[in-house]
Amino acid sequence: MGQETILRKLAIKSFHINDVAFGNQETIKSNIFTIDCQKNIELEQSEDLIEKITIDIIKPGDYDRYVNTIMDVIPISTKVLGDMGEGITHTVTGVYVMLTGVDADGRQMGEFGSSEGNLKEQMIFDRAGTPSKQDYIIHFDVILKGGLPFSRELPMAAHRACDRFIDGYRKILKQKNGREATETHEYFDRVRHGKKKVLIIKQIAGQGANYDNFIMPHEPSGVEGARSIIDLGNVPVIISPNEYRDGAIRAMT
Amino acid sequence: MGIGPSTKETTLHHFRDPLLDVVANDKDVDLLGVVVVGTPQGNREKYYVGKRAAVLAESMRADGVILSVDGWGNSHVDYANTIEEIGKRNIPLVGLSFIGTQGKFVVTNKYMDTIVDFNKSPAGIETEVVGENNVSQLDCRKALAFLKLKMRGAK
Repeated sequence: MGQETILRKLAIKSFHINDVAFGNQETIKSNIFTIDCQKNIELEQSEDLIEKITIDIIKPGDYDRYVNTIMDVIPISTKVLGDMGEGITHTVTGVYVMLTGVDADGRQMGEFGSSEGNLKEQMIFDRAGTPSKQDYIIHFDVILKGGLPFSRELPMAAHRACDRFIDGYRKILKQKNGREATETHEYFDRVRHGKKKVLIIKQIAGQGANYDNFIMPHEPSGVEGARSIIDLGNVPVIISPNEYRDGAIRAMT
Repeated sequence: MGIGPSTKETTLHHFRDPLLDVVANDKDVDLLGVVVVGTPQGNREKYYVGKRAAVLAESMRADGVILSVDGWGNSHVDYANTIEEIGKRNIPLVGLSFIGTQGKFVVTNKYMDTIVDFNKSPAGIETEVVGENNVSQLDCRKALAFLKLKMRGAK
C-alpha cells in the first residue's frame, strides 16, 4: 500500500515571452517573439481554399476590436526529445495563437452559434482555455473562399495554415537550450498501488465541419499527423495522462 | 444544440485541462488515463460508442469514472446513454456538464444522480462567449470529492 510505480516522465520547459513584434524573419530571441511580416502571403498560397490571411498582434488588454468567430486558442509547443507524452517538450508562455475565420460571403466558421464580435465581450480571459490578461495574442484571421458548400474542408484548411505558421516557431524552439527555460515542470504517468482506480472519460465533439477533434498529432497541439475522432468512428480512444498534457488533442470545435 | 462557443474546449484548454490536473494530483486515487469518446450524429452510433466506453471502463476495473461533456442538448443523448451503460455495470460515476437554465437534460435515467453543473453565465445560457462555460479547478475538485464519496459507498 502507498507504493508508486513511475511509468514515464515528461518535462515541459517553458520560455516566457515579454514582447511580440513584426520583423523581417521569424525569431524567438531574448524573450522577444518576432513575426515575419511576409509570412501571411506564403501561408495564403499553401491552401487552395484560403483567400486571405491576416496576422495581427494583440497587446495585453487591447481587446476593443472586431474579430471573426474564434475557432481556437492554441499554445506554441514542440517535441525536443521523445514521443508525445515522454521526454522533453518546449513551449512558450506569455503568447498564444487565436485562430478566427469567415468565408468571403461572410459565413462565420462556427457550427452551433459563433463568437464574432468585439473581442472584449466575446472572450472570458484567464481561464484554462483562454489567454490571461497579461498575455499577448497572435491573431491569425483567415478568410476562406466563398460560394462553396459548408464542409469540414474549410475549417481544416484554416487549421492547417495556422499549424504551418506555428511550425516555423517549433523549429526555433527545438534549438533552444533547455537551461535557458523560464520554468520546467515534470509530469509522471504513474501507478498508485492500492488506491481507488479512477478513469476520466471526456465526451468530445465528432459530427463534422467545426464539430471535430484531432487526436495525437506529431507535434503538441498540432494538426499534422493527427487523426480526426470522426474518421476514427467516434469510438473511445485511450490517452495516457502524460500524452494528454503534452497536447494530444487539437480542438476543431 | 451541440457545442456552442461558450462550452467549447479550446486546444489550450486541453493542454492545461483542470480535470486532469485535479485527478492526477490527488494522492488518494490512481488515475488510469483519459478516454476521449466522440459525439456522433445518429442515435445508433451514439449508443454504439457509449457502450464501448462503458465496456472499456469495466475492463480496466475502474473503481470510479468522471465523465465530462463539452456540449449539451443533442450531446446529452450520448451523455445520458454512456452514464446508463456505466451505471448498469455498477461503476460509481460523477458527471460534469453545462446545464444552467438552457441545458436541462433532454433525456434522463436513474444513474444521473450526481452531475456537477459548470455553467458560469448569470443567465444560465449559451452566451457565445469563449471560455465562459468551461470547467474550472473548483468544479473538478467538487466532482472528485463526490466520486470519492460514491466509491466509499460502493462495494
